[in-house]
Amino acid sequence: MTARARWTTLGLALLALLGAAQAQGQNKFRLKLGAEGRVCFDCHPDFQDKLKNTFVHTPVKTGTCVACHSPHASSHGKLLAAPTSAICTTCHASVVGAKAVSAHKVVVEGGCVTCHDPHASNNKALLLKPGDDLCTSCHKALGDAVARVKFKHRPVSQGCLGCHDPHGSDKSVRLLKAAVPALCVGCHKPDSPSFARRHANYPVARADCTSCHDPHGSNTAGILFDTVHAPVAAGRCAQCHNAATAPEPLATRRAGFELCRGCHGTMLNEVFAKARVHWPLVDRTGCLNCHEAHASRQKKLVNVEETRLCGRCHRDTTDYQARLAEKARREQTASKVKVEKGAITHDPVRAGSCSTCHSPHASDSVRLLRSASIIDGCGACHDWLKHNSHPMGEKVTDLRNRNRSVDCLSCHRAHGTGYRYLTTFPTATDLCVQCHKQLRR
Amino acid sequence: MPRILSALLALAWLAWLGGEALGAEGDKLRYLTSIYLDAKGGGMRQPEGLACNDTSLVVADTGKGRLLRYTLEDREVKPAGELVAPQLAAPLRVQTTSQGEVFVLDGKARRIVRFGAKGEPLGYLTPEGVPGPTSLVPRSFKIDRNDAIYLLDVFSARVLVLGADGTYQRHVPFPGAYGFFSDLAVDGRGTIYLLDSLRATLWAAAKDAREFSARGNPLRAHASFPTSIAVDRRGVLWVTDENGSGVVLVAQDGSVLGRQLAMGWTEGLLDTPGQLCLNDKGLVFIADRANNRVQVFAIVR
Repeated sequence: MTARARWTTLGLALLALLGAAQAQGQNKFRLKLGAEGRVCFDCHPDFQDKLKNTFVHTPVKTGTCVACHSPHASSHGKLLAAPTSAICTTCHASVVGAKAVSAHKVVVEGGCVTCHDPHASNNKALLLKPGDDLCTSCHKALGDAVARVKFKHRPVSQGCLGCHDPHGSDKSVRLLKAAVPALCVGCHKPDSPSFARRHANYPVARADCTSCHDPHGSNTAGILFDTVHAPVAAGRCAQCHNAATAPEPLATRRAGFELCRGCHGTMLNEVFAKARVHWPLVDRTGCLNCHEAHASRQKKLVNVEETRLCGRCHRDTTDYQARLAEKARREQTASKVKVEKGAITHDPVRAGSCSTCHSPHASDSVRLLRSASIIDGCGACHDWLKHNSHPMGEKVTDLRNRNRSVDCLSCHRAHGTGYRYLTTFPTATDLCVQCHKQLRR
Repeated sequence: MPRILSALLALAWLAWLGGEALGAEGDKLRYLTSIYLDAKGGGMRQPEGLACNDTSLVVADTGKGRLLRYTLEDREVKPAGELVAPQLAAPLRVQTTSQGEVFVLDGKARRIVRFGAKGEPLGYLTPEGVPGPTSLVPRSFKIDRNDAIYLLDVFSARVLVLGADGTYQRHVPFPGAYGFFSDLAVDGRGTIYLLDSLRATLWAAAKDAREFSARGNPLRAHASFPTSIAVDRRGVLWVTDENGSGVVLVAQDGSVLGRQLAMGWTEGLLDTPGQLCLNDKGLVFIADRANNRVQVFAIVR
């Protein structure tokens, strides 16, 4: 051994000694070897089986259980070192981009274990179930519909992740990997002759494909939504739009309700013969405020299901109903009675069946009520009205206001009040003495 | 010296105006009286609109398809006949001119019917020279002190400004994103205000502005479904909350000054209020629709 080699060996030995001394200093709790995780298997032997899975979470594989669990005590379930909503993001912070246009609710809420096994799985990405089974375990209705439909969209059969990003999307709504129509034209070439022929030669390459087509498949050829506007079904686009060869082919021939009047003249004439019209019907959007022009999942081509349709504009009413429903739920929970008597919410309002009482297009009655008489309107559902002992009707004057007669709204409010039986005062006594003042104590 | 004097006067005027506007924060409505009957002793039914000045009041008795006139003398309201015309099926909004003419928007025909100062029907208001699109559907309208007519045209999404004779003067398009505009108001300086009922927001366009800009934050915390707006001579906006049965006072910058009144049947309370009108004597008239009456309040501080 040369002198140089001797000095090198001596230096390395010194460095090793220093390193060992430092390591002893760091391990101030004198932890056993493998205390970060390997010793856990002594008591949790079933985890050895987990390790046999095809895909194992790296901290599990390296025996670093303390990466997620606190070994002595914790304020969180399963001795987790942090809340479930935060623990995964300590390592996987970037699953939803800062500029995400849309994000999966379950991800935002930190429910990673809804889809992933935090230890190990035989499915890629530690997923709990393979393929679309995982998605349809929550999106059951959609899964059932996809399985049932007559005309299927091939990418859907190949997996949800063909179009959707399961965590979030920087590109589009609904977790789509690209916005429509960019997503669609990736497969469907708009310049192909068959595409042009099927779309009556209209330049729809930049149109919203989902205004006609159901991307998850449908029972109508061409995966059009199940309710198709007759001119669309017949390929008569020019009935509403300019000719395909016109400078602005997609522009409509007329604006607002005037366009629809060409075919739906009888219906619109009936509407305009009423004293009061639903004003959105006569604005620049007209019928399309509530209806789709081409196709819809809903009957009568309405934009969304009836339960949500009116609430999109009349938010004050739907928000109030939600608050009342919550109040009813809280009161029922706190109550010792099995079912509290007297509803706080009115069923048709809570269910969004506004058209039970209101006419959506026009009416001769105030508030677009179907019935001119409040008593008749309520009586359509509430038979007991016919034998109510309290005098009611046009000839019975409300003692609080000489220009009002007594009807259901003298004591109740159809959209609720926060009190049971939808009464305008909390107790029957409070209510009755509003008119019968002589009985006040 | 005259310049300094003018500047001082201008400053004093601005300070007075500012003080008046600030003072609106302490405004309260004191109930004065309610109007229930016409000249023949018949009751109103669902009145939605009204117009007023210092000496007269015109009420749209919507449920009965007629207009009722009243005279005002020392805060006393006296019936002065009714106006009826075949064109009037559902009168919704009323305005009067400086010459005493009455203009009323009919909800069924969605056109504006005119009456002369003596109550004689003068047919429909026909706007002249309006640029395309020619179709228009007025949801509301206002007439300013110079008798210029401001039409809220929901079909063509614009506010049309017409001369007293109905000739087109200019228009201001609606802003890009909005819910539904139910009413408009015009202040003494010619600023046009729009009321978006669905989003409970206010928009404004100064006299020569070409577009509307949002004023303040949404009024959602103060108003459920605002449908009518009026402006007093100080520039304070009076917004009627139809579903919430109240009145919200808003400063020109969009800040909320307060909320007045509440839902009820008895006098001094409202049930589904419609149009509101203020006169120069400090009286406030409110079409109390579901209560089948018009209520009169005085502004007190």
